[in-house]
Amino acid sequence: MTFMRLGLWLLRRERASGEWRVLLLALIIGVGSVSTTGFLGDRIKRAMSEQGASFLGADLLVSSPRPIETWPSHPLRTSSALEFASMVSHGDAFQLATLRAVDAAYPLRGSVRIADRPFEAGTPRPAQPPPGAIYVDQELLALLDVQVDDPVQIGEATFRIAGLVAEEPGQLGGVFGLAPRVFMRADEIERTRVLQPGSRLTYLYQFSGEPGALAAFSAALKTKLDSTQRLIGSREGVETLRGAFANADHYIQLTALISLLLSVAAIAIAAHRHALRHYDQAALLRCFGATTAQLRTLYAIQLLTLGLLGSLLGVAIGALMQQALAGLILPDAVTRLPSLGAAPVGVAVVSGLLALAGASLPALMRLIRVPPLRVLRRDIPPLPVAAWLSVAISGSALLILIAWYAGDVKLVGVFVGALAALVAVLTLLARLALVAGRGVQKISYGPLRFGLAQMLRHRFDSTLQLGAFTLALFLVALLALVRSDLVDSWRQQLPPQAPNYFLVNIAPHQQDAVAAYLSQHRLQASALYPMVRGRLVSKNGQPIAETLPPEKRDSNTLRRELNLTWTAVLPANNTVLAGHWHGERRAAAPVKGTPAGTPLLRSDPSAAPVKGMPKAGNPLSPEADAELTPPAGAPPLRSDPSAEISVESGMAERLDLAVGDTLGFQVGDQTLTARITSIRSVKWDSMQPNFFVIFAPGQLDALPASSIASVYVPPDATGVLPGFVKTFPGITILALDKLIANIEAVFAQIIGAIQLLLGFLLAAGMAVVVATLLASLDARQQEAVLLRTLGAQRAYLAKGLWSEFIALGVLAGLLASVCAEIAMALIADRLFDLPVRLHPWLWLALPIAGALLVGMSGWLTTRHITRVPPMQSIRALG
Amino acid sequence: MTPPDSTRFPTGSASAAQSCGVVTAHALSQRVVTADGTLAILSEVELAVKAGETLAITGASGSGKSTLLGLLAGLDQPSAGELFLLGQRLNDLDEDARARLRAGRIGFVFQSFQLLPALTALENVLLPLELAGRADARDRAIHWLDRVGLAARAGHTPRQLSGGEQQRVAIARAFATDPEIVFADEPTGNLDADTGARIIDLLFELNASAHTTLILVTHDDALAARCQRRLHLVAGRACEAVSA
Repeated sequence: MTFMRLGLWLLRRERASGEWRVLLLALIIGVGSVSTTGFLGDRIKRAMSEQGASFLGADLLVSSPRPIETWPSHPLRTSSALEFASMVSHGDAFQLATLRAVDAAYPLRGSVRIADRPFEAGTPRPAQPPPGAIYVDQELLALLDVQVDDPVQIGEATFRIAGLVAEEPGQLGGVFGLAPRVFMRADEIERTRVLQPGSRLTYLYQFSGEPGALAAFSAALKTKLDSTQRLIGSREGVETLRGAFANADHYIQLTALISLLLSVAAIAIAAHRHALRHYDQAALLRCFGATTAQLRTLYAIQLLTLGLLGSLLGVAIGALMQQALAGLILPDAVTRLPSLGAAPVGVAVVSGLLALAGASLPALMRLIRVPPLRVLRRDIPPLPVAAWLSVAISGSALLILIAWYAGDVKLVGVFVGALAALVAVLTLLARLALVAGRGVQKISYGPLRFGLAQMLRHRFDSTLQLGAFTLALFLVALLALVRSDLVDSWRQQLPPQAPNYFLVNIAPHQQDAVAAYLSQHRLQASALYPMVRGRLVSKNGQPIAETLPPEKRDSNTLRRELNLTWTAVLPANNTVLAGHWHGERRAAAPVKGTPAGTPLLRSDPSAAPVKGMPKAGNPLSPEADAELTPPAGAPPLRSDPSAEISVESGMAERLDLAVGDTLGFQVGDQTLTARITSIRSVKWDSMQPNFFVIFAPGQLDALPASSIASVYVPPDATGVLPGFVKTFPGITILALDKLIANIEAVFAQIIGAIQLLLGFLLAAGMAVVVATLLASLDARQQEAVLLRTLGAQRAYLAKGLWSEFIALGVLAGLLASVCAEIAMALIADRLFDLPVRLHPWLWLALPIAGALLVGMSGWLTTRHITRVPPMQSIRALG
Repeated sequence: MTPPDSTRFPTGSASAAQSCGVVTAHALSQRVVTADGTLAILSEVELAVKAGETLAITGASGSGKSTLLGLLAGLDQPSAGELFLLGQRLNDLDEDARARLRAGRIGFVFQSFQLLPALTALENVLLPLELAGRADARDRAIHWLDRVGLAARAGHTPRQLSGGEQQRVAIARAFATDPEIVFADEPTGNLDADTGARIIDLLFELNASAHTTLILVTHDDALAARCQRRLHLVAGRACEAVSA
């Protein structure tokens, strides 16, 4: 007990010491970063699970691209809704919206809150509006320049806006909704006449009732659903959403973890210096009769106190910052999230203590092994601690932290591997930079020469500082570039007259009228592509899933219905890589690429997450949520074994398809087979309708299908569009500019969130710089005393220090520029197929930022050594 | 006063040695292994110090004075020989047991003062009292600071004190626990002659009033002369024993 008290007493007396401050600061930064993400993640997860069934709107939900007519018998309450996209217009303004046509029972669980004015919380009301009325998202008001009670047009019908949707089940709002929500009555769909054969529809069936009845019903139903139909229980629903969130959350958490690990480096350095400076104290205490156990108690209580203090302060900062993060990620839902939970506090405090223990225990173990004889002979070092023990302690603490945050073994491996590679690369680069610094030092003179010499002399410190700071600057720069530069250059490289609008749901009887309307207004449209929806079910007679290794069976391509089209003409921006383009009558087409039958190894543009951005901008890429219903009474399909198809190369790679394979498709309740005769690459960002599977003419033609086309509307001709909407109310117009702007906004939100975390990373980098400088402070002070005794002026020493830190900052900035340019070049080339270009401003901005940040933190840490009179320094150093 | 010539311990058993005093060394040797072979720092030193005695260990630099002091205080283990401190055979005790033996019973005064820079004068004196778990720690610390004439400076840190004042704090710290033995390593080594003389006066005055055994290492003949006995080391050997 005495030693605990003594430990706290000594800690209180030493609270102003530099090492404790750095240690505490680093801990606050590290814990702050992990608790910021922890708090927000927890709030979102609780929002999902606390709402339970009300989150789903029901106990059980079935979604299907087709109506389901027959159900197993059940005693449950039911409700059904139909979701589809359509244009909503008012005067000359029009907007694509997601309509949900509901019956009186919707939702079965939870509530829909309807407000009368924007930004009001609203009151729970039935989601079904009164006859002739709709409820809309408040953002639609601004988009259409309308108020509540104004009339709007949907298809051929007019509706009054009766209220605003403030909250609905299953929605956290914000990032994920691109088209505003509209609630309408199911019995009024007919009036709008927007639904055509081939419209994209989602049927939602809700059920609620007793658990036993629900279980029996869902068991009976499961066997009847195909892979495009989904049965979601309220628990599974939450789990699915939580799983989707957890994936994104993992990566944000890992960004936070990097800050924590950088903080660990700063803590380790500070702890090492603390131990060094306390060898005398420990020896004295031993001399006065303190045993090893008592010293251990004393220092452990100090460490624990600091750990708890730093962690709790970090948690407090995290609690403040998470609100800012929530504002960035979920701007619309912040007020609806539950309040801060207690669980992340525990996680953050344990992370902080673990980080602190891993970083400082080896140093403290040395401290308690100081021999008491050191009081007489100060040159006696503490007994060494076995290297394996230090490595084991620090290594296991770090591994536990990484494993905890990464979640699964594979990610731990990837993270540790990437971390090791990063450390190796940064060390190498820092060393190379120091070699370059030596060259500059040789030709410099005066304080600059002295400052550079200092930097080179403290080589280990300099490498560490350079590495930490380069990493922080690099990541900040990379995100800034990805955010601004990629979208810009992608836009720039589009041909000036690239299509900027998609026309969807063109009914067969409208095709001529649409073509006439467009040519009358001198608008260039792409070819019309018919679309039929079908599901890929088999390959060479075997169920497709069975032909794939387990890790590939989860492909989206298998879960969704594909948009199937047919054409004799190879679309522009498509290149045949293997086999022969089928043409009109299987005419040969020029072939390049791999020989037939060889699976393609070309990188899959659609598989890469960033690549997905422009692709997602093309809402008609066949994996987008296009839903088409085969009309009733369609003629039977001919199953012609000689039918030919062309498959997109990414899909071929994902599903191990090669030229010569025969694929089976389920279209409605019929099956047809076709042989792959070519594999194409597709330029997904071409702004043209693109398809994974293209049939040769003659296979699907018998099915009535709606068509899709893209059109370029010059900026001065956009006045044509309101007229088009009025003439063809059932045709959906997708404004790519708006979609791209939406995606950019989403991107900006996510990147803004990550940049907030990079602020922590930058702070952690500065903590490393300060910690390493503090560690070298005694040696620097001795040098300064010697130099001042020999006649060096204060100004000379000050300039020397500035030169050293500015040189470090500039070098870190340059290294970060190199890393950022390389990373950007790889991203542009590999993921976006964009030309590589340099960013000259980066080479100026990063070194200046580095010089400022490192210069300031360095100068603030060391400035007093030039101010203390030599005599005082000599006495202070003993 | 002429004490018996006990610095050279003639012969006899361990128990005989133990009974003779608070510190007893028999054939005490300390060797270190260097790159050039084994170096004998102390060789076959015999010594017995009785309670209340004052002993000066003198010798040239490198003669092994501080090494001997460290061994006698139980701060280090000898390479060979037998050593008793306060009735305990140190050879049988590990580092922690020796530390427990020292707690509250042994005081130290160092050449470089060894005050903790973050603590005030009072807190520095408090430190060994806290370690010994004394209930009246604070009162005793104030009392001893007063005894060395620094009651008014109790709240000052070592940086704010002169060398002489720092050493007075160190002396107060050494005597505060009522130790049975005080070991002093060159207590005037870092002080000017006048200050040194005043420190010595204080040390001997407190020692006399507290009836403490005082063992000190010094270069200073004047200081050595004030001790009852003197052990002179030449190249690690106790070559003469001089009565003061």
